[in-house]
Amino acid sequence: MIRMESISGARRAASALLLGGLAVTLVAVALAVTLLLRNVVSTAGFVFFYTAVVAATWFGGKWSGSLAVILSTLVVEYFFIPPLHSFGVNRESLPVFIEFAASSGVVAWFSARRKQAETALEDARDQLQIRVEERTAELKQTNAQLLAEMAERKHAEEAYHEARAELARVTRISALGALAASISHEVNQPLAAVVTDADACMIWLSSEPPNLEEARAAVESIAQQGTRASDVVRRIRAMFTKDTPERTSVQVNELIRELGALMQTEAFRNQVEMQTELAPDLPAPTGDRVQLQQVIVNLITNGIEAMSAISDRPRRLLIRSAMQGLDEVLIAVRDSGVGIEPKNYRRIFEAFFTTKAQGMGMGLSISHSIVEAHGGRMWASANSDHGTTFQFTLPTDHETGS
Amino acid sequence: MTDSTPIVFVVDDDASVRDAVRRLIASVGLRVETFGSTREFLGARRPEAPACLVLDVRLPDVSGLELQRELAEANIRIPIIFITGHADVPMSVRAMKAGAIEFLTKPFRGQELIDAIQEAIAKDRAAWNEREQMAELRARYDSLTVREKEVLKLVVSGLLNKQIGAELGTSELTIKTHRGHVMQKMRAESLADLVRMAERLTPSTPKYK
Repeated sequence: MIRMESISGARRAASALLLGGLAVTLVAVALAVTLLLRNVVSTAGFVFFYTAVVAATWFGGKWSGSLAVILSTLVVEYFFIPPLHSFGVNRESLPVFIEFAASSGVVAWFSARRKQAETALEDARDQLQIRVEERTAELKQTNAQLLAEMAERKHAEEAYHEARAELARVTRISALGALAASISHEVNQPLAAVVTDADACMIWLSSEPPNLEEARAAVESIAQQGTRASDVVRRIRAMFTKDTPERTSVQVNELIRELGALMQTEAFRNQVEMQTELAPDLPAPTGDRVQLQQVIVNLITNGIEAMSAISDRPRRLLIRSAMQGLDEVLIAVRDSGVGIEPKNYRRIFEAFFTTKAQGMGMGLSISHSIVEAHGGRMWASANSDHGTTFQFTLPTDHETGS
Repeated sequence: MTDSTPIVFVVDDDASVRDAVRRLIASVGLRVETFGSTREFLGARRPEAPACLVLDVRLPDVSGLELQRELAEANIRIPIIFITGHADVPMSVRAMKAGAIEFLTKPFRGQELIDAIQEAIAKDRAAWNEREQMAELRARYDSLTVREKEVLKLVVSGLLNKQIGAELGTSELTIKTHRGHVMQKMRAESLADLVRMAERLTPSTPKYK
């Protein structure tokens, strides 16, 4: 501390000496030039002293300037203001002396102000420069950080998509579970007819005389019902085996009709009356049939579950298709169930949000993202009387998102 | 003669199953009538013959189980054989408790259904006979005069003619005449026979108590 103070003190003394020297030198030069020129040009005046004052102030600062003013005044008074070569001032030359002293003072003051402004400007410029550099460095760092974050995020997103695809598969399988009762019924029905027909046929054949007419009818029915059973199996396979999304044009009404038939048993088991209200001549949106099936099965299953506790009114599920505007198909599933609490409306499409004891909270979230991937929208609203309506749209032109 | 041939009603919404069941039942020589819905069945005329009902659990309008309950409430006692596409234990327990003959899961063998139908028809025939006997007995009872009914009541409660005379304020001889008419009108062969008839006629004395 002390050392530093002494160093700066010495430096200050040196610079004061330098500045004093500067003022003295400049005034001396001005004197020399004026003396020289006085013999050549008579009207040289004191212009060089002003110049010296300006220069001293400019390069040496306030103190150096003040010194130059004092020295110049003294020198001018001594050399040029009568009585010459004396520090006295007579009455006639007093105004000249005062004029010079004042004007050199004013010039010095202006010059100092000017210099100050210049310095402040320079400082500001330097400051700005420093700040810009700092900011640039900061920005570079932020940029690097951002890039790293983006890479990380992309990585996470990929992992998320993978996990989501896996979950979609799982929910598809659980949708299959929900359909199991319906499917077994669909297959059992023709099988029952086949077995019964076969037994009837045996009896007709072994009666005396054999009734060939009835036996033939039974065998014919067996063939028909065999075909029907294999149709059901084929439909179910088509529904659940594909893993890669496919884009075909999807007949929405046909889809609803098929699923309605498949879900009928589930509805029946839960004492739910399922109805459809399908608008004719709907254009066919482009999409993945299996995924859209999954969405509708999910909505139907949810609707049925939402009504499981209802006993004071009919349990009704209405599946509706309609045009929405000019270029969208709307599919709505309306239940008369317990409804959704208002505070939960914003969250129902979030992943892992569920109000069911056994729910995973993925069904609606996945349905929502399937619909969005198709370029459509999905939303839920409370019915005026009871329950909830879930609906989604599918664009019918070919701009179907990613 | 044809009218008393047992008849099987089949209610199933699946046409192919309905037809197959119809063919099977017809092959064993029974009369069969098929319906696609509960409503159709309820709208049909019930013939005066032993009958049974082959009923699908899952139906479009009123479910099979619901129909079973409604028939019981309306006091229509027709034996029911349930057939169902998906076995559901609580459902079958409910059906059996409500008096179903059998609960068959599709696909079932023809013989299973035929056996169940035979059992159901035998049961209905017995119930039919029982109902006819009861109707006959009631007709006989209704033919008695008020006084004869009083006498009958006191006779079967174990009183002697003299005691009955005292009870009703008439002579033993008059009671004896009444008693003869009661025995004749009720076509009772003995006092024991008359007591049995009276017991059957009294609905307020449950047999299982």
